[in-house]
Amino acid sequence: MALPKIAYVGMTHLGICSAIGAASKGFSVLCFDQDQQLVQRLFQGKFPVDEPELDSLFSKNKQLLEFSSDPAALRQCDLIYVAPDVATDDFGNSDLTKLDGLANLALDHATPETTVVVLSQVSPGFTRSKARTGRALFYQVETLIFGRAIERVLLPERFIIGCEDPSGELPPAFKCFLDAFGCPVLKMRYESAEFAKISINCCLVASITVANTLAELCENIGADWSEIAPSLKLDKRIGEHSYLSPGLGIAGGNLERDLATVLKLSSEYGSEASVIRSFIKNSGHRRDWVLRELHQSVLNQRSGVNIGVLGLTYKENTNSIKNSASIELINHLDSCSIRVFDPVLPASVVAKANVIGVPSPLDAANDSDAFVIMTPWSVFKDIDLDQLSKRMRGRLVLDPFRVLDSRDAKMHGLDWRSLGAR
Amino acid sequence: MLKHLNVMPTEPKRVVVIGTNGFVGSSISRELKNNGINTFGVDRTMVDLLDTSASARLKSYLADGDSVVFVSAIAPAKNTVQFFDNIKMAKNSIDALSEFHLSHFVYLSSDAVYADDANPVIEESPLAPTTLHGMMHAARELMFRTEIDAPFATLRPTLIYGARDPHSGYGPNRFRRQAVSNGEIPLFGEGEEKRDHVAVEDVARLIARIVVNRSTGALNAATGHAVSFYDIATLVAENFKSNVSVVKQPRTGPRPHLLHRFFNITGCYRAFPDFQFESLADGLKRVHLELGL
Repeated sequence: MALPKIAYVGMTHLGICSAIGAASKGFSVLCFDQDQQLVQRLFQGKFPVDEPELDSLFSKNKQLLEFSSDPAALRQCDLIYVAPDVATDDFGNSDLTKLDGLANLALDHATPETTVVVLSQVSPGFTRSKARTGRALFYQVETLIFGRAIERVLLPERFIIGCEDPSGELPPAFKCFLDAFGCPVLKMRYESAEFAKISINCCLVASITVANTLAELCENIGADWSEIAPSLKLDKRIGEHSYLSPGLGIAGGNLERDLATVLKLSSEYGSEASVIRSFIKNSGHRRDWVLRELHQSVLNQRSGVNIGVLGLTYKENTNSIKNSASIELINHLDSCSIRVFDPVLPASVVAKANVIGVPSPLDAANDSDAFVIMTPWSVFKDIDLDQLSKRMRGRLVLDPFRVLDSRDAKMHGLDWRSLGAR
Repeated sequence: MLKHLNVMPTEPKRVVVIGTNGFVGSSISRELKNNGINTFGVDRTMVDLLDTSASARLKSYLADGDSVVFVSAIAPAKNTVQFFDNIKMAKNSIDALSEFHLSHFVYLSSDAVYADDANPVIEESPLAPTTLHGMMHAARELMFRTEIDAPFATLRPTLIYGARDPHSGYGPNRFRRQAVSNGEIPLFGEGEEKRDHVAVEDVARLIARIVVNRSTGALNAATGHAVSFYDIATLVAENFKSNVSVVKQPRTGPRPHLLHRFFNITGCYRAFPDFQFESLADGLKRVHLELGL
């Protein structure tokens, strides 16, 4: 059969990365969004998200990409993914209004033969609520990672597909598209697939929480978590890709949303979910590690403190600041003067009078009493430690993600501290 | 966690400190006055909160628009009689306070409201007291928060020390008195229990900040540094010119349920980013000098 034409409805991070990934597999792709100006910018290759390889794949596959804000264009497509990212509030609660509207729009404008797939992050029950008689509707789990989204789109470990009838065959257009990726396809009922996505994220948070809990103890008992973690990864029951790096809590919005969903379901059905609350509590505790270190080592001893901060985004290789530990930190350092550098964002995103942006990582160190690396961008690894030491007024360097070489930093007379060891 | 209702610290019209003559209350009144805040103290000679006339007498000292700091307590509440007396004091006070439009109400509570195993304690830790004293404070927090129609804040101090402390509980004050009278400081076992101790002056400074910011919510008053009783005794001993020995003694009973207590004081860092706690070593040295030892 001829390759099916695929539409992605909702042009945010998920839709954009998925659409360009599909085009790079040779499929004709319609990128749809109701926002005409956004569609125009996307057509010009101006993306509101920052991901490695996104620009180059767009340029390479531009001839396979169409952009439209006219829902009638959806009638030309064999397979429609409804893929807006679902916004969350400060507590991880989802706002499904936009997704709901776009799902209805897709179902209203698709031909009866077209398969519609919900790709967004939803709570169990959402897909079934959209089912219409005689309409092929599926749910597909997305497992994109900010900063590695293109890689995850092109090389999925498996597809998890929620179906009305898991024993039935997938529609040819849908099957043709999934087969192009050469990975296992796991069919299950809608609710199972929707909950599989949440389950994956809960397992990831569990690993992160274990790593953070044990790494904090390492800081007190003379052990070094960076020596321990590799030994755990060689254990097949744990695995080489497991999330065992300590960090500043969970951020980005997706993990928080799924924890909130589990707590909401647990409250609704009376199940025991205190471990989820513990995950959230531990995340907040670790997020504030830098703030505590600064207070205990610098702020509790003098006034007029200068702090250099590297990184504003919640992780490297993204422009997202959702629940960013860096932003959270800066918001609670009003009594300090802060010089900040981020590779992709201006300091104006924090909009505070005591924060100024600087043109390079080393400029953030000028006259600083403490220097903090809040996001592990690889470019920070190249910092000249000799220059860093000379430019700083104080000695304290907080490097939670071990971007710098600890031995080298200490040799330069810096009071280098990280998570997982002292 | 505290939230500040005032955008900028603002001097209140008047602060009424109920329990102004006690160890903590007197420090709070002094701190407020030192900050130029119009402060009116109510003590037991003016109103006996256990007396049948308590409500009427307290009313005579209050006015609409007052900020109230409630410190008065029979502490520690060691038995049922003391527990109920504390509750009665709160009830009589509420009868009076609820008739006024208060600007702000601040209750001085205790970290005894938390469970023994809540480490590290944060303001969001569940209230699960294991002592009558802790239950008394938890109950009074709830009573005041429920019955008084004003922005409510509670400060929950951990173990407090200071030169004027009349109590002689296991800790710095008792250690100092033992050093003076016997030249030695006896410990239970190895003195290994780690606790956070906060200077009464820091508690008073926190109350003053809560008042001028018109803060609501809960805040723990703790330094974030837990120190073993052995180390505390050693610090106390080192402040004496004469030789004071720290003596470990076999325990006659089981170790306490509350073995160690740690605080995560991020809530304080967020509420008052420029607040600096006095270190225990500095505080003990200062108290030693204040007492003329």
